[in-house]
Amino acid sequence: MASENLIERQTALSSHVVSFCRYLRKHKFKLGASDEALALQALSKVVLSDSEVFRLTLRSTLVKNLPQLILFDQHFEKYWEELAKAINSKKKTVEEETLKKKTLADEAQKRGQASLQALKSWLYGNQSSEEKEVPGYSFGKTIQQKDFSLFNSEEMSEVNNLVKSIGKILANRHNRRYQRGKSGDLFDLKSSIQKNMRKGGDIVEMAFKKKQKRKLRIVLLCDISKSMDLYSRFLIQFIYAFQNTYTKIETFIFGTELNRVTEQLRRQEYTEALEALRENFYDWSGGTRIGECLADFNKNYTSKIINQNTIFLIMSDGLDTGDSNLIAPNLKRIQRKANKVIWLNPIAGNPDYKPSTKGMKEALPFIDVFTSGHNLESLRKVVSVFGKSNQNHFRKLQD
Amino acid sequence: MPNNSIQNIESLLNGQGYITDQSIVMSVHLAKVLKKPLLIEGPAGVGKTEIAKVMARALDTDLIRLQCYEGLDANHALYEWNYQHQLLQLKMEESGSKTIEEKKKTIFGEEFLLKRPLLQAITHHKHPVLLIDEIDRADEEFESFLLEVLSDWQISIPEIGTIKATHIPQVIVTSNRVRELSEALRRRCLYLWIDYPEFDKELSIVKQKVPDIDEVLAEEICKFMRELRQKRLEKIPGIAETLDWALALSGMHIDHLDKELVQSTLGIILKDWQDIRTAQDSLSELFEKVGIQSKLD
Repeated sequence: MASENLIERQTALSSHVVSFCRYLRKHKFKLGASDEALALQALSKVVLSDSEVFRLTLRSTLVKNLPQLILFDQHFEKYWEELAKAINSKKKTVEEETLKKKTLADEAQKRGQASLQALKSWLYGNQSSEEKEVPGYSFGKTIQQKDFSLFNSEEMSEVNNLVKSIGKILANRHNRRYQRGKSGDLFDLKSSIQKNMRKGGDIVEMAFKKKQKRKLRIVLLCDISKSMDLYSRFLIQFIYAFQNTYTKIETFIFGTELNRVTEQLRRQEYTEALEALRENFYDWSGGTRIGECLADFNKNYTSKIINQNTIFLIMSDGLDTGDSNLIAPNLKRIQRKANKVIWLNPIAGNPDYKPSTKGMKEALPFIDVFTSGHNLESLRKVVSVFGKSNQNHFRKLQD
Repeated sequence: MPNNSIQNIESLLNGQGYITDQSIVMSVHLAKVLKKPLLIEGPAGVGKTEIAKVMARALDTDLIRLQCYEGLDANHALYEWNYQHQLLQLKMEESGSKTIEEKKKTIFGEEFLLKRPLLQAITHHKHPVLLIDEIDRADEEFESFLLEVLSDWQISIPEIGTIKATHIPQVIVTSNRVRELSEALRRRCLYLWIDYPEFDKELSIVKQKVPDIDEVLAEEICKFMRELRQKRLEKIPGIAETLDWALALSGMHIDHLDKELVQSTLGIILKDWQDIRTAQDSLSELFEKVGIQSKLD
């Protein structure tokens, strides 16, 4: 009899669970049918003595990462509250709830319309089609020295490809050597024979070699405010040509807030990834808060991803609308942990440039390399200092 | 019956000296009955690895541990042939009358197979606990390879054939969130987040692990740690550090925290020069929050 009860109760329960899953999906939980099934299966394995057991069971099975964990508790409470209020019209309230949310989101979107436009142009800018033939260095000096912002829209896709292919050439150059070792992709005949001569010439120990992977990691922080979007886009493309050479590339974009986009860029084709980003960050409002974003970076990421093998690249014009007192101390902390801090400031491409803003001035002592990154030539120079040691503490790559 | 086993798990864990809370118990229980891998995330030093160890002890089975690191590949995780021994064997039999086929059979036998953790786990004689520690340190390629093993529970060795698991291990995966894990891996696992413990939980852990400790001291230590974790530190101390500290102080037969003592023993809980500086600078503030009257004041 007890088991009969159990089954009956569970049929009622399972419909609740299914609609709760539906509710979660509307709130950006990626749940498949298998997750639903798992939750139901899990519920059959516990005795639901109180609501806490129920909540924990669902949470253990439906949550897959930390941000979801936090959201789950909120959603759970909300959902069952609504349900308790009006069991019969349950579906209606949930729909209303989501409708309300939608209109709110719409409004937020409208408010951020202007800046959205800027972001859109940033994200849609890269319409390059297939990879063209890899060009050599024969391209005229003019093209390499021309400021990115001076190209017209027709030239843009060509420059785009150029940036990518020059990146690849440089990346290969950084990665020509082999590394010997006990395992690897290629049999190393030479060192195998060397190693085994003393054992009478029989190959007892094998030696292998593999392409050396540079231990350097790169962390990119790109300002995507309106004045910077173009330069950041080129920088990201350029650096990503190196992703097979360096072990890790982490990418963040910032304006008013910091966003980690490494995953999106890795999972998808570049253009697709940027489109997906556009969906996610609609509430972008203008301005750049460098200090706050650096503080956020320090709080959440520095200890995890910055170490002595990390090159920290930041692309920004230093025009800060936030608290500029935050820039120097936060940059100092990063510099202490990282191998090198490189600041790219496109305005610095102008020979008359002098750092004038307070934030930029204070940041200078904590920057190892300060350069412009406004054209191809300067991007190439940036890469050339990657492997070098920091003997002269601060230098400006100008000429 | 099923509920019994929840309490069962709880008492098993407690019996092994592991202080839990309800969400940990629930996750462990579900991982066990649903036969799913359990993915545990959380800051360093909150007892992620410990769960696997305790679970193995509680279930009276063996713990097989695969420690991940950058560059870990399938060979190191699965099996390797003991090449040198094989070669010696051939040398010894050079003058013998064995045919090539027979020789092949001997040198590709079990005794020349070096079992690495994953193969060990699969061929184990009873359901072991397989701990895959710090999966976020391994490369993504390794992660996808692992997924394959975790879903099929079989490994094929070209020279021998396919080895199927006799007993499916209970898998525990831990991660420090150094890198994001793939969706595919997350989908296959149950998820558990362990945070720094609440005051009460930490206090009972301290009392459990350092039974001789003075009651007042234990409370002060836990309060101090709670406040210290609110500070902006490079490396926030975990439970392990709390325990080290408690052990050290109780070993010195101390029953009360004071500033001088804390200053001289900060090195036990903070492992970064900058952190120690930060803590020293705000020691008075910390003491105030903890509510300890310093003897020096």
